[in-house]
Amino acid sequence: MEDFEPTIIAFVCNWCTYTAADLAGTSRQSYPTNVRLIRVMCTGMVDPKYIIKAFLEGADAVLVSGCHPGDCHYINGNYKARRRMKLLKAILPQYGFDEKRLKLTWIGASDGIQFARTIRDMVSEIKELGPNEAKHAAVV
Amino acid sequence: MKPKIGRALVVGGGISGIRAALDLAETGYGVTLVDRAPHIGGVLSQLDNQFPTNQCGMCKMLPLVERDAGSQYCLRKGLFHENIDIRLSTEVVGIEGEAGSFMVRLREQPRFVDPEKCIGCGECAAVCPVDVADEFNAGLSERKAVYLPVPHMMPNTYVIDPAACTRCGECVTACPTGAIRLFRQGRQDFGVLVVDDEYTVRDSIKEWLVEDGFSVETAGSGEEALDLMKKQPFKMMLLDIKMPGMDGVEVLKKTMETFPDMAVVMMTAYATVETAVEAMKTGAMDYLMKPFDPEDLVSKVIDVYEIQEASRGEEVEAGAVVFCGGTEGYDPSTGKNTFGYKKFPDVVTGLEFERLISGTGPGGGQLVRPSNGEPVRKIAWIQCVGSRDLQTDADFCSGFCCMYAIKEAMLAKEKGPEDLDATIFYMDMRTFGKTFQRFRDSAEKDHAIRFTRGRVHTVYLDEKTGKLMISYPGENSQRIEEAFDMVVLSTGQQPAGGMDKLAQTADFDLNQWGFALAEPFAPSKTKREGIFFGGAFSGPKDIAESVISAGSASLCASVALHSAGRGMAEVTGDAPEYIDVSIQAPKVRVVLCECGSTLPGGIDMKAIAADLKTDPVVENVFTIPRICTTEGWDLLVEKAKAKGYNRLLVGACMPYAHARRLKELGEKVLMNPVLMEVEDIRAPAFRYADAEASYIQKAMERNLRSGISRLRGVDPLPKTSVPVARKALVVGGGIAGMTAALAIADHGYPVTLVENDPELGGNLNWLARTIEGYDVHAFMDSVRQRLEKHPQVTIHVDSSVMSAFGEVGNFFTTIETGSQSSVETLHHGVAIIATGGGEAPANMYSHGENDAIITQKELEQKVSDKQIDVTSMDTVVMIQCAGSREEPRNYCSRVCCASTLKHILHMKKENADLSIYVLYRDMMSYGFSETWFTEARKAGAVFIPYTVDKKPVVSVPGDGSNVKISAYEPLLDANVEINADLLVLATGIVPSLPESLAAAYGAHVDADGFFQEAEPKWRPVDSLKEGVFACGIALSPRSVTESVATAEAAAQRAMRILTKSALSRAGVTARVRQSLCSLCERCIDVCPYGARSIDLDLQKVIVNAAMCQGCGNCASECPNSASVVDGFFDGRMLDMIDMVIE
Ligand code: FES
Repeated sequence: MEDFEPTIIAFVCNWCTYTAADLAGTSRQSYPTNVRLIRVMCTGMVDPKYIIKAFLEGADAVLVSGCHPGDCHYINGNYKARRRMKLLKAILPQYGFDEKRLKLTWIGASDGIQFARTIRDMVSEIKELGPNEAKHAAVV
Repeated sequence: MKPKIGRALVVGGGISGIRAALDLAETGYGVTLVDRAPHIGGVLSQLDNQFPTNQCGMCKMLPLVERDAGSQYCLRKGLFHENIDIRLSTEVVGIEGEAGSFMVRLREQPRFVDPEKCIGCGECAAVCPVDVADEFNAGLSERKAVYLPVPHMMPNTYVIDPAACTRCGECVTACPTGAIRLFRQGRQDFGVLVVDDEYTVRDSIKEWLVEDGFSVETAGSGEEALDLMKKQPFKMMLLDIKMPGMDGVEVLKKTMETFPDMAVVMMTAYATVETAVEAMKTGAMDYLMKPFDPEDLVSKVIDVYEIQEASRGEEVEAGAVVFCGGTEGYDPSTGKNTFGYKKFPDVVTGLEFERLISGTGPGGGQLVRPSNGEPVRKIAWIQCVGSRDLQTDADFCSGFCCMYAIKEAMLAKEKGPEDLDATIFYMDMRTFGKTFQRFRDSAEKDHAIRFTRGRVHTVYLDEKTGKLMISYPGENSQRIEEAFDMVVLSTGQQPAGGMDKLAQTADFDLNQWGFALAEPFAPSKTKREGIFFGGAFSGPKDIAESVISAGSASLCASVALHSAGRGMAEVTGDAPEYIDVSIQAPKVRVVLCECGSTLPGGIDMKAIAADLKTDPVVENVFTIPRICTTEGWDLLVEKAKAKGYNRLLVGACMPYAHARRLKELGEKVLMNPVLMEVEDIRAPAFRYADAEASYIQKAMERNLRSGISRLRGVDPLPKTSVPVARKALVVGGGIAGMTAALAIADHGYPVTLVENDPELGGNLNWLARTIEGYDVHAFMDSVRQRLEKHPQVTIHVDSSVMSAFGEVGNFFTTIETGSQSSVETLHHGVAIIATGGGEAPANMYSHGENDAIITQKELEQKVSDKQIDVTSMDTVVMIQCAGSREEPRNYCSRVCCASTLKHILHMKKENADLSIYVLYRDMMSYGFSETWFTEARKAGAVFIPYTVDKKPVVSVPGDGSNVKISAYEPLLDANVEINADLLVLATGIVPSLPESLAAAYGAHVDADGFFQEAEPKWRPVDSLKEGVFACGIALSPRSVTESVATAEAAAQRAMRILTKSALSRAGVTARVRQSLCSLCERCIDVCPYGARSIDLDLQKVIVNAAMCQGCGNCASECPNSASVVDGFFDGRMLDMIDMVIE
């Protein structure tokens, strides 16, 4: 398990977290290379089926990250995302996925450091959890 | 969107400049936006959090209709709009001509770093030997002389600070793309003549300058100098004033006759300073005091050289000029009471505090004491530092410090330890804006922030404990000493630097406080036609007010442009006819930028290309040395011109910078820009800096693959658009409604104005004068007369809106008029709600029981009808906040305090012996009305504060004797009894906006019955529902002039829509795949913009493409995948997920 490098798929909103990720990059905040960013316009755009798809494709964890509450460019998409993620977390175990593998955070545009920190923390957490084995077993 | 012929210049790229520029650009004008700083955003680039959300949200200012014309990313990262030409490090040096056709002279500071070539790699900063205070972090950290002005800007290019740079040239060698030029080479050709009768002086100057590369000649006398000048050309002369024979001044005069362009710097001893100053009037550009420091002298010469040789002057045409120059923060170290600032590191300004807790700040966002890095447990804010202070010449209130202090205290609570103790020391908490009072109350109740009234005397350091001690007056005027870990000074706003010069250049006046002077009732107008002010340039303002003010200024500019005949004529030229590729199978051509071989070693572009080519959808892969250069771009165009593909993927750095140019490219090669993408291939090299080359290469390839998969999925859709009925409806005929109607009509669009009352004018019918002494009735009459005569305006008085429905571009409103009930239905494109408000009823303090107890409105009327004779009175009492600022009316009505001050000054003029007592909670004399507060106190009025739990008590004796008021006086710690001839109650303002009216247009009212704006800061006059706006008191209480500002701002928002015959859909917009739709209507509920509706006849869910913002909430909500967002189809998204997980 020593050299298990988890693959993390991050759905990041165009307005906040994407900017933060960019900032982390340009200000040389190094963070683990495990994360693959997918830019969406708003976290409210993240259909739960994308997350399930990511898990089935072999992602060890999924991060959904957008603007802070009250700050969503589209007024309240992040609240809707939060509701959807909560429901999704409830059903993930049915597919054999640990709900800890799905994370929702708010990272503002200037929080490059926080973005890097979030990714670092997530990588170490998932390393502890081990690879997502359920993807092999899941039948959808 | 085709730019209009009209062009405006906006000076200042802070929040108000951005708003004004965007407003004008969205209306269709061309805009030149200049800022003297090397970045846009002003102070907001440094602020991460704004109340009331304590987050940012600035991006909400970006265009909502015709979104694709502008950038769609975080606004603090930068701005792009196809109608805006942004010029940074540029100043206005002259404005000639008149409204409609100004010629504006600009001067751009020398560009040492070519932004076209800079790739932001930072090699230059790594070798730069200079360290100076970093203004981005308010001086709390250091930066190099070559630096990024704002670390999060995009595209981010380095600039050189000429004042700090030693021209050592290290960076020039280090730069991998040759982007830096220090203009040293040209110094040989820059002839300097040194004239001084003392040999040692002229010779040592020569030596210094020659060492720095200049060619220098010397002359020992004036005559010799003039001779030399005849023989060879010089660019500059250093000229001693006191010389035997012909003195310096005479030489100067003679030189100016023959060589008027020569830069002459006088050299003077202390005794002849005045002569030197005189000489500057004759044409000398500056003077230097002897004895001088070689460094100063050389840097002066370098400055002159660079300005002459390297800065670029240019003239631009502009029909109107909007100054949004903003303000400057007060520096407490310059004041009489510095509160230990600069002496104790734990005393910081408000701005410094924001930087300290920012994630991009010096400490990475940790709330620690700057002195020792220990956590802050107890922190205080001191209000009114540099504001409301006669000693610092600031007899005005900065208006925003109270709110930012509360916000900062809340942020401190969030970032600091759980038991953090936060205290705000204040004189009056000026919570006069919409929702401010509740924000403050919640800070006190929910966040346990302590509010302590009293002016702080001093801040000193307790050497033993290392704590900062604050001493302040407690109750009973006792002195209290309290220890804190950190003290934040709530510093105010000051007029921006260089106001005098700018006022001279542009020919406008300054007011007594040093800000730009606006005309009466015209908050954005200067005395010079065609020149306007936006934002805090004309007086301190917070963000929301600045945004409103910028809207008002851009409206005025638009009227000026329009009336000069430059309004709506469109620049000719048709939209390009893109080649139709809809029936072709996708074929992606990939063009990769090699980034001038600055990518980390070991990355094999050829291998990437070969790999990508194995994908059958990829037509071909090319590489180009550097796309960011002009040659590179031309090469790209060439590669794109060759046929054989139908999708283009560009792999480069800085996708933000290139994405906008794709539109240009699309027009050249007739390819719809939605079929092109720029994928960032440089970011992996940054992001994974420590990883191996093979890993980075893989990441680059993965990025490219996901770009390919995105492109494969796109389909250019036929452009649909929403037609616009180019007419406006304004509901409410008070000053706000009248102003808005007139503003739109002045642009040539028909406006219908509906007023309930039989007469226009609203509150202005009873309001006689303003605190400044302006005649309200004369103003109202002039507006009304213009309106009544205007050919584009239809007025319906005695009328009301019966019903309304519709969406932006097409509203249908039925209006009912008079008793005979004539009914008319209007078709209009926008609606402006200006239903105003009135004085709140007085159902407290025995009002109605005695004639001596009256409201402010009654006082105003009685004074103008001369029913009140103050000369026969002894005592007048005024009670502020009667029913205001506590539940259920927990908001400040904003106008009452100024009105009280107005009456005090008036009464005192009539009867100097009159005793006036004002019982108040917080005097809300924000902005310049603070001066009237000072005046009123000087005139002898007594101000006694009260709190809600100790309200004054009014008793009305049955025997007809005077009204008695009993109030607690905190200084005496006792109750005082006052017998008053007159008691005036400031009851505040209530709105008169029927909820049903707002609802008819899809808008809402807030808890207090005012119009609910889309966003309190960034969209203060819009409703969430596009096409519906509000102004005046319907929004929130405000003065006449402030109402005019909101009305103009609302009209400007409406103009964005009215100037278009149709609103086209943006690239990222939602649609419904009707065959899959089960009409469950969940998408309708979830749409935050009300862009969806159900057409019952067609049995279809309809999306209004102009209102939809493409957030995709509908798509994730839809159980059948019937709702989709262009550019983010399920298929495409799933594909991308596939692609990034190999
Ligand atoms: S836009 Fe960032 S979460 Fe909605």
